[in-house]
Amino acid sequence: MTKERPAAARLSGIRKAFGAVAAVDGADLLVHAGEVHGVLGENGAGKTTLLSILGGSLRPDAGEIRIGNAAVDLRSPRHAWDRGVGMVHQHFTLVPRLTVLENLTLGFRDAARGWRLPLDDVRVRAEELMGRTGLSVPFDSLTENLDVGERQRIEILKALLRNPSILILDEPTAVLMPGEIERLFALVRDLTDRGVAVVLVAHKLDEVLSVSDRVTVMREGRSILTAPVAEVERRALTRAMVGREPEPFSRPPAPSHGKTVAELRGARMLGRHGEWALDDVTLSIQAGEILGVAGVQGNGQRELAMALSGVRTPDGGSAMLPSGVGFITQDRSREGLIPDFDLVENMALALHRRAELRRGLLLDWRGIRDRTAAAVTRYQVRTPGASTAARALSGGNQQRLVVAREVAEATDLLVAENPTRGLDVAAAAFVHEELKRLVRGDGDTGMAAVVLISTDLDEVLALSHRIVVLVRGRILAVPEQARTKEGLGSLMLSVDHATA
Amino acid sequence: MIELAALATFLEASVRLGVPLGLAAIGETVTERSGVINIGLEGSIIAGALAGALGALAFGSAGAGVVVGAGGGLVVALVFAVFAVGLGTDQIITGTAVTLGGLGFTGAVYQARFGVTGTALSLPTLPVMEIPLLSRIPLVGHALFAQAPTAYFAYLAAPAAWYFLFRTEWGLELRAVGEEPSAAAAAGVRVRWTRIWAALFGGAMAGVAGAHLALAHAGTFSENMSAGRGFIAIAVVVLGRWNPVLVFLAALFFGAASAAQFFLQTLGLDLPYQLFLTLPYLLTLAALAGWVGKSRAPAALARPWPPAEG
Amino acid sequence: MRLPEQTHAGLVAAAALAVTAVLAGVSLKLGGFDPFQAGAAMVRGSLGGRSALLSVTLVRSVPLILTGLAVALAFRAGVWNIGAEGQLYAGAVAAVWVGLEGGGLPAPILIVAVLLAAGVGGAAWALVPALMRFRMGVGEVITTILMNFVAIYLAAWLVHGPLQESRGVFPQTEQIVGAARLPPLVEGARLHWGFVLAVVLAVVLWAFVRWTVPGFRIRAVGASPEAARIAGRINPDKVALRAFLVSGALAGLAGGVEVAGVTFALYEGLSPGWGYTAIAVALLAGLNPLGVLFTGFLFGALQGGAGAMQREAGIPSAWVGAVEALAILSVLAVDQIRRRRIPILRAGTVVTQEQADD
Repeated sequence: MTKERPAAARLSGIRKAFGAVAAVDGADLLVHAGEVHGVLGENGAGKTTLLSILGGSLRPDAGEIRIGNAAVDLRSPRHAWDRGVGMVHQHFTLVPRLTVLENLTLGFRDAARGWRLPLDDVRVRAEELMGRTGLSVPFDSLTENLDVGERQRIEILKALLRNPSILILDEPTAVLMPGEIERLFALVRDLTDRGVAVVLVAHKLDEVLSVSDRVTVMREGRSILTAPVAEVERRALTRAMVGREPEPFSRPPAPSHGKTVAELRGARMLGRHGEWALDDVTLSIQAGEILGVAGVQGNGQRELAMALSGVRTPDGGSAMLPSGVGFITQDRSREGLIPDFDLVENMALALHRRAELRRGLLLDWRGIRDRTAAAVTRYQVRTPGASTAARALSGGNQQRLVVAREVAEATDLLVAENPTRGLDVAAAAFVHEELKRLVRGDGDTGMAAVVLISTDLDEVLALSHRIVVLVRGRILAVPEQARTKEGLGSLMLSVDHATA
Repeated sequence: MIELAALATFLEASVRLGVPLGLAAIGETVTERSGVINIGLEGSIIAGALAGALGALAFGSAGAGVVVGAGGGLVVALVFAVFAVGLGTDQIITGTAVTLGGLGFTGAVYQARFGVTGTALSLPTLPVMEIPLLSRIPLVGHALFAQAPTAYFAYLAAPAAWYFLFRTEWGLELRAVGEEPSAAAAAGVRVRWTRIWAALFGGAMAGVAGAHLALAHAGTFSENMSAGRGFIAIAVVVLGRWNPVLVFLAALFFGAASAAQFFLQTLGLDLPYQLFLTLPYLLTLAALAGWVGKSRAPAALARPWPPAEG
Repeated sequence: MRLPEQTHAGLVAAAALAVTAVLAGVSLKLGGFDPFQAGAAMVRGSLGGRSALLSVTLVRSVPLILTGLAVALAFRAGVWNIGAEGQLYAGAVAAVWVGLEGGGLPAPILIVAVLLAAGVGGAAWALVPALMRFRMGVGEVITTILMNFVAIYLAAWLVHGPLQESRGVFPQTEQIVGAARLPPLVEGARLHWGFVLAVVLAVVLWAFVRWTVPGFRIRAVGASPEAARIAGRINPDKVALRAFLVSGALAGLAGGVEVAGVTFALYEGLSPGWGYTAIAVALLAGLNPLGVLFTGFLFGALQGGAGAMQREAGIPSAWVGAVEALAILSVLAVDQIRRRRIPILRAGTVVTQEQADD
């Protein structure tokens, strides 16, 4: 519908491996000036890796990068900016203990290199930009005191300050409310009208389709297809992303109501900065149900998980917990297992508490080894052996091990915190099946309850029998008619009403 | 009047003893602001003392000795930086090793050069420079403004380091590296180079501190003459909340703790000398216990970059 | 079960030793000495003959093994105890204090009492930085170092003041009573039963860390306090605190054994920095208690041979301290290179979280 625009950037035959695992292998990307280019793909498809290469924060093992018409070697983010590429990362790149203005200034370089801190210049420019884009940020606040939405705006402002000709936005909507997403997309449109190329990375199809001119789909490190949005069918995109027909959405059957396995009464938990991160939460969980907890990250999910798993006792109120609690933490490599320990020792993290695996002070390592071998077989953990260090396993296989261990612990309750984050499709499906199996209570386990704390609304909607939303540490029940993404989104947004 | 004279002597000694601590601590402040804790500071100080002594002998000038001393401290810090920053080895253990190595090598060089018995080495000393007018200020004037040139260097270094950290672009980048290296890297800052320069600066300052010990204090070198000042300096950085000016004031306070010995002795309090020697260490411990909760270290302090895998 | 790891630790130690030897030789050469003559003198002085071995090297290795075990245990638990030196002095003071009087107790009981006192003394000295870390949040690195200076000066004060020998001439205490002394292990040599104690403790500690519940907890907490707390439901502070105190007790025991087995009195400068050398001993051993036996012996030989090297080749004794530092740096470097740079030596493929999450 438009005439062919000039190429802003072209990546061809890109390969990037971490250790023996190729995150990107044989990926191409052509971005035109003045277009919104959506990059779609499941978690782990290699989107972030590919765009980080264009953003200069990763260097490819093979392949060519052209910006405009020149082949370039992007050695650092600064190299990329000098060539007009700005990137807003998925994980924030702000320094918490600097002010907003200092963060905007960081790395903002003009002629006066080094000595003079151009705070005033940056302030003037940023104010001008704020007026033009409608992004507003408090300049003199400490960044650590701001919420995720504000930080996102700072990131975008920081990138725009350098007048990029190519702007990469990596999963910008993950932390935003529906209303904020619309404002962001309006801004994106405004930028492309000025001739800027915007690359939008996302794994949510609808969002990408609503704003993009063209899309590229990635799967398993390769670019599968590139097409104008107007010319491609939605089903074809989904198939390209997943590699097969998508499963039909199914509402889980209502559970046969079981006994209450866990209960919080007026529970309060202090957050990291002394605030009530969990505030007067009363919640009871029945055997046989998956209770979904939705919410924007940082609204008390961490503390709720700590309270329900028994890792921390509430600072106020009470928690009644069963004896058999499993906990799948979202931070697998830091909290879920010890990378330097082998699989047996990682299993022992939970098993060492069991009386039947102790002989006085001594641990029954033979017993623990047998159980590890059984778990490895049953959960299909791909590993050279049980005495391999956990760090040698892929993320998916690490998660299988953690799930195996925690499901075995969860005779009564399993707390699962973003259990599929960062997993490939197969591994995620496996985790979902385990959660369902646990509440069905078939096989060797009794009927347990699952609390699924997740920022992925699709996951919460697909699995949960009952859903609650966490907003600023408080629990909101979700009425039947609000069981949609939009409904949950507006409840998650209801922060003002909750605190007013 | 005797008390007043004693007090003046005490204040003078406080500054004299506080200056080397302050010089090393100012350097370490900058190092730590970049996310690197250099326990090897003690090694830089002793190397600075020996290099200062040898330099002063070679050039026949105490001033040249200070410059050579700075170089000695810098070389030791370079070893630390290559390992802890370049290779990403554990900062604490690397620093401890560098201190051991610094003490061992200086001892060996000294023994090889001047014999095991340590024939008393007599060095050119830094002159006391009285600043006109300022040194006439009652009580504190003489203490502050009739000192070796290295003391005036320290007076200037504290605000200069503050200005550098909080008012320059390089300072902003350095602080960002110490708080959130991944963010600094994403902003295009070269994390490792920043840390290496910061460690080298800290080493050079510690070298000046060591040279001051040999050339302003003693006029001689002796093995282990740094006597744990590097470690106290690191504690002083905590007490001064990573602000160079406050850090320097804290260093003067600990100079006073060391000088208390002379003061109390002139007052006729005859506590055993070894007990006095414990005083600065005990005071540092007490101050750390009472103070640390209120201050926050740079968030990435002692964390390697890039982060350990796994 | 941990066979691959052990192999790597041995490999790292061997490579590090080779690097250290080369660097030490180069430094001697640069200093104008003959490295080979020095090496020969070192071997003669430490291993050349019954007396060198049984009265020098093995005797020296006892406090190094004990403090090495102290450091290895602490580091395993993620506690940066740089304070073994001070804890050693505290243990020596406590041991002398009990051993001077003796209370007329018979030898076996008194010896046990002396050693217990040494352990308690060392643990008490570690308690201060331990409480500062776990109650007030003050890092133990600086506090343990500061406590070293306090201990050394306090010991100096004791031997110049309240505990000085009755003639008031030498800076040392009276000798402890005969019943408080560790008997010699071999007739006609200085080697004493403290050596057996050190070996037994190393084996016990090895089995403890490897096979027992508290040993496993210590390893888990040291490897990852977060995972220990969340996946293991272990209280990391409690575990680390206990390990800290046991570490202090082991270092204190080193002081007690030295007093009861070798010096029979407290001196100013009793330890030539064993508590610091212990860091090299423990690291080179890969924090493995059995490895500490070997590295403790190695550094005992190094220190034992230093005297001969000074006499025969004119090499300053302080140079040994520099070699210890070289050894630590070599271990760190070799280990780091193994982990990151050389694929053949690497245990497996490595993907960081961020990369894996994509």
